[in-house]
Amino acid sequence: MPVARLPLVTTELDALLRQVARRDVDAFATFYDRTRARVFGLVTRVLRDPGYSEETTQDIYLQVWRTADSYDPSAGSPLAWLMTLAHRRAVDRVRSEQAASQRESRYGAANVDPPSDQVADSVILRDERRQVADCLGSLTDAQRECIQLAYYDGLTYVQVSERLSANLATIKSRMRDAIRGLRRCLGMT
Amino acid sequence: MTEPTDPDLIALATPYALHAVPETELADIERRVSAAPPDVAQAFDDEVRAVRETMAAVSAATAVEPPHQLRDRLLTEVSSDPVRVLRPKRWQTIVLAAAAALVIGLGALGVGMALRPTPSPSTAEQVFAAPDVRTVSGAIPSGGTATVVFSREKNAGVLVMNNVAPPQPGTVYQMWLVDAKGPHSAGTMDAKNVAPSTTAVLPDLGDSQTLAFTVEPPGGSAQPTSAPFAKLPLV
Repeated sequence: MPVARLPLVTTELDALLRQVARRDVDAFATFYDRTRARVFGLVTRVLRDPGYSEETTQDIYLQVWRTADSYDPSAGSPLAWLMTLAHRRAVDRVRSEQAASQRESRYGAANVDPPSDQVADSVILRDERRQVADCLGSLTDAQRECIQLAYYDGLTYVQVSERLSANLATIKSRMRDAIRGLRRCLGMT
Repeated sequence: MTEPTDPDLIALATPYALHAVPETELADIERRVSAAPPDVAQAFDDEVRAVRETMAAVSAATAVEPPHQLRDRLLTEVSSDPVRVLRPKRWQTIVLAAAAALVIGLGALGVGMALRPTPSPSTAEQVFAAPDVRTVSGAIPSGGTATVVFSREKNAGVLVMNNVAPPQPGTVYQMWLVDAKGPHSAGTMDAKNVAPSTTAVLPDLGDSQTLAFTVEPPGGSAQPTSAPFAKLPLV
């Protein structure tokens, strides 16, 4: 059964970003409210430390405030722009922490279900969450592990290949297949 | 989908988009993409874009509400952003002073506009105070004038547009700094941005020799899609 395309409220976010680019604080507040759970959740998943996550989320939204007019609609959706920026920041932070303290990397079976008490209280988001979790569940274990290590643990594909004792080409194609599987399942192709 | 002719490069698109290539490989990948034939570069970009859209959708799976105090802190921070508070008054003062000093006969100026990156009074101040400050001015064929006050030493300029007609509905004006490698976007203005007098900071002149203006679809383009309707030599 095909899954309906997820309601990403692109048009609304696009309009809000344009207003933010014109230094509209109210629009910024609304943009934050529409996206904060996604951003903070991703950052927390990558950093695993509440203090760092809060700090990094703040940096991300200040960057949104300062650079909203660099958003180019022809290059992708506003949410993709935001989440790319957020993930980049989180990964940079985790790598600098690792470099500083050789932080113990906790990895293992992919676990995409956050604790239930942290579930964002948005009905739409809950519905999307279920769909996405189902889709992540439809990947092979090997594919899901690649996404976990590369995207959520901030490892490079070279480190992933070392971790899994698989060659580089295998890891790259697993990542690609994982994304394709997700796209198909989410009805994005 | 285009059949990629450089499978090694295309295979890196997914890790690249996931921020999962080692820092040491980043520059090399970006150089290879920019040197690749258009269909390969397009296939790489399409893949990067697809990955980013996918992970944006996947972010629903990890959503967690942040602590409430974060919202308050952020709003306090952006509300007290000095650029926002100071800009209207200081812009008028600075630009009028500069106009008088340089005898370029500008009319009364409206409020500044937000371009990329955010105009900052200090950038304008630095440009006007720079020992190597220069001014170039030209008529826009459809009416009005564009003036750039700039400093190579400060690597920045201030654009002032007077009596320039707003873009047609459904289009924007886009500014380009053109250097030996071609045009680089310096921001867009839509009808709402173009007042009788419009000012904007050009924060990174680099090696650009020309400021060009084109008409583009809303949101602007990555590269110009039409011939410039005006050009100012930055020399």
